[in-house]
Amino acid sequence: MSLRLKLLLLGLATLVLPWTGIRYAREMETALRESEQHALQAVSESIAASLQGRMNLLYRNADDSAPTNLGPYDLTPLVLTAPPYIDGYPDDWPHDPRAWRSYGNGAHRFRLLTGVYDRMLYVLLDVRDPRLVFDAPGANPLDSSALGDRVWIGYEDPQGAQQQVFLALTGPGPILARRIEAGEYGKESAVEDPRIVGALQPHEGGYDIEVAMPLSMVGRQFGVLLDDRDQRGADPLSYGTLRSDDLHTLGRLIVASPSLMPYLAQFMQPGMRLSVTTPGGAVLGQSDELAVPGVLAPAPGILTQIYRRFVDRSGEPQFIASDAPIYDASHRAVIGELDVTQAANRWEGLRDRALTRMLDWTLVTSAMLVIVTFAFAAWLALRLSRLRRASESALTKPPGAILDGISPQTLVSEFPETAAPDELGDVARSFSRLLGRLDEYTSYLRSLAGKLAHEIRTPLTIVRSSLENLEAEDVPLAARQYLERARQGSDRLNAILVAMGAATRVEEAIGGAERLRFDLVPVIGSAVSAYRVAFPQRRFAAELPAEPLEIDGAPDLIVQLLDKLIDNAVDFSSAGATIIVRLRRGPAAAVLEVDNPGPPLVPEARGRLFESLWQSRTGSDSRPHFGLGLYIVRLIAEYHRGGVAASDLPDGEGARFGVWLPLADVPLLPNYNDKVKLESV
Amino acid sequence: MKRLIAIVEDEPAIRDNYAAAFTREGYQVRTYGDRAQAMAAFAARLPDLAVIDISLEDEPEGGFELCRQLRALSAELPIIFLTARDSELDAVSGLRLGADDFLTKDLSLAHLIARVNALFRRVDALRKPPGDEAQIIRRGPLALDVERMRVEWDGRVVLLSLTEFWIVHALTRHPGHVKNRQQLMDAANVVLDDNTITSHVKRIRRKFQSVDPAFDALQTVYGMGYRWIE
Repeated sequence: MSLRLKLLLLGLATLVLPWTGIRYAREMETALRESEQHALQAVSESIAASLQGRMNLLYRNADDSAPTNLGPYDLTPLVLTAPPYIDGYPDDWPHDPRAWRSYGNGAHRFRLLTGVYDRMLYVLLDVRDPRLVFDAPGANPLDSSALGDRVWIGYEDPQGAQQQVFLALTGPGPILARRIEAGEYGKESAVEDPRIVGALQPHEGGYDIEVAMPLSMVGRQFGVLLDDRDQRGADPLSYGTLRSDDLHTLGRLIVASPSLMPYLAQFMQPGMRLSVTTPGGAVLGQSDELAVPGVLAPAPGILTQIYRRFVDRSGEPQFIASDAPIYDASHRAVIGELDVTQAANRWEGLRDRALTRMLDWTLVTSAMLVIVTFAFAAWLALRLSRLRRASESALTKPPGAILDGISPQTLVSEFPETAAPDELGDVARSFSRLLGRLDEYTSYLRSLAGKLAHEIRTPLTIVRSSLENLEAEDVPLAARQYLERARQGSDRLNAILVAMGAATRVEEAIGGAERLRFDLVPVIGSAVSAYRVAFPQRRFAAELPAEPLEIDGAPDLIVQLLDKLIDNAVDFSSAGATIIVRLRRGPAAAVLEVDNPGPPLVPEARGRLFESLWQSRTGSDSRPHFGLGLYIVRLIAEYHRGGVAASDLPDGEGARFGVWLPLADVPLLPNYNDKVKLESV
Repeated sequence: MKRLIAIVEDEPAIRDNYAAAFTREGYQVRTYGDRAQAMAAFAARLPDLAVIDISLEDEPEGGFELCRQLRALSAELPIIFLTARDSELDAVSGLRLGADDFLTKDLSLAHLIARVNALFRRVDALRKPPGDEAQIIRRGPLALDVERMRVEWDGRVVLLSLTEFWIVHALTRHPGHVKNRQQLMDAANVVLDDNTITSHVKRIRRKFQSVDPAFDALQTVYGMGYRWIE
């Protein structure tokens, strides 16, 4: 794993920050919710306390005791949010199955739903009656023979008197409410009561009747009775919440006082629902603004929505609720219940703003940390790779490079990062020192051969001249052989000296060489024919191009270069082997290759073959070797701005040494060397 | 009367060995270890030939100075330079000191003696009046006086050292034939490595070119050797 990746991961670890933020936000939210719950409880209790004993505020017709126990005929109208349209269709009533009351006699039943809206009482009757019988058309509503099904509404008026009206079913649509009034002579007449409106619509298996009347007409009691006739004028089957004999009411109408709603309204806040119920749970008054979004909650932004997805846990209640009993004045009996419900997200805006801000900051911080660590890592990696490149190139550069006059000293002093004050700078400095030492060491080694050659030459001259003088003397025959041996030894010593100084002499030759433009093909060609004579034990195959390959350089040096390659090839091949000398045109350079059958390159030789004083030779022959041959090849190739390479032959049965030399007609590009190196050899 | 050879060499063993060899050849030898000693002696009596080591004790190039002083005393005196390093040959040559030959110390005594003999022959030949035309090899503009070891190109003298003369002589005897390095070394009585032969040939070319810039008679046959083209 690269340093960059590691540091990037380290940077990513800062993402723990937003995660912690989310955890924190959740905790905060839970705490907030709990405190809201407490606050709500306090609110509901204080509102309930303000209602304590105020029966007349709670109930429209306040009597002494609260309607704790509801009888079967007591009615608790729904608090309607909108007035139903009196058309006989029940669609615009709230769907609340528990609010229905059912009354009946055997198979004959009706369901009753009552509601209150703005001082009006609404009644919905759902009558199960397979046989709907209308009054005879045009008949006197009091004509008993013409009577069909009939609905009676009985109530106690505010003065405490029992009143009844009836709704004669005359057909689908509006139906009139009439009251029976005794006229003169006991004559009864049906007088229409315009305050009460009603409508009928038959439906499958029965019919619906809607009735609306002002609450002001009604006192404490209210009831409905149905006269169900199977045929016109027949005796009715009566059932409902009125006494069937005198049509007096049986049950109470429990409705909130008109001032309850305005009273509750003063406690209202957006996103809140206040409801007051009877001790039995029937709603008296309700002020509902739950759906009204909190004023502090502007539309959440995209970021906030994303954050919410992380923070919100599923299954959290949307609302928080609290209730408190309302006591009577003596605090003994419960006269009602107060329910306060509040949207849990009432403070969403505030909370979201805080959350968004916190998460924004942590995310920005994390992102910046990641970027900074990544940049730092990249920078570090850059420095490290610069260091690596520098140390590698310092190692591969020929010591005392003769090209362009780059001396190893300048190379070492240009070592990167040495001025950096940090640990990397320390590494670079010690690297630079190390390389400097190495460089001194190698240049000493290199010059050692030359110096040694020079220093040994004088004593050798003494030995040789002494031996030569001795030969001229009258030496006994027996001593001659020793003389001869000493001579051979000194000759060998001389050969060693010559070999040791070879690189130095080539460097001198390069220094004094004159560049001229020449065709490589005949030079290589004639050199190869010379090798055939020089090495009769080997066969030489020359593969030369038909076209001329002109380079700028010194032909003498090129021949020396080839000499060294051939020496090497001859040394590593056996007698009778064929050495192939190949010259071809590369992309931008002439490529000279020498293939010799024999052992493949030893692995440790790779990359070092062309270094000074390096050799992989294990055996020994009569000629001295100092690992300078291929170094000379490289020196000469580099003098020609070319390069060298060595590889195994494709079949593994030998080695190939290649040299590429830039062609004279190809302009030198800045990255020329890298390009040619990649493409040619 | 025996010819007098002066050897100026700071290494006593070499000096004495050379002296012994020359004495054996019938020459009279005087040896000197440093420049002051040598100059004092030369002022008294000039030798017939001087063999001078370039580096003399604490003077790395004391030999050059000595050569210059000696040449001031005598224009004809044959001088042979000895060096420990091949690389100095070019430098010596470039100084135009008027030395007759430049040799490295690993030259064998036999070869050194051959040179000395040859130089004495030349001195003798120069003293004789010119006459024997048969000794002169002519190859186009080249005239090679074997006896006097003198080379002329287009009638103008080309000053070659003895080694260089022998190389040119070997090449011009059979124009067009390729002489390899070994053959040239044998001809020049030297044992040198290839680079030194190459630099000798280069110097020869340069000397001819200083007389005639269009000189192109000495050709390299790569990998084989050199040949003289008429």
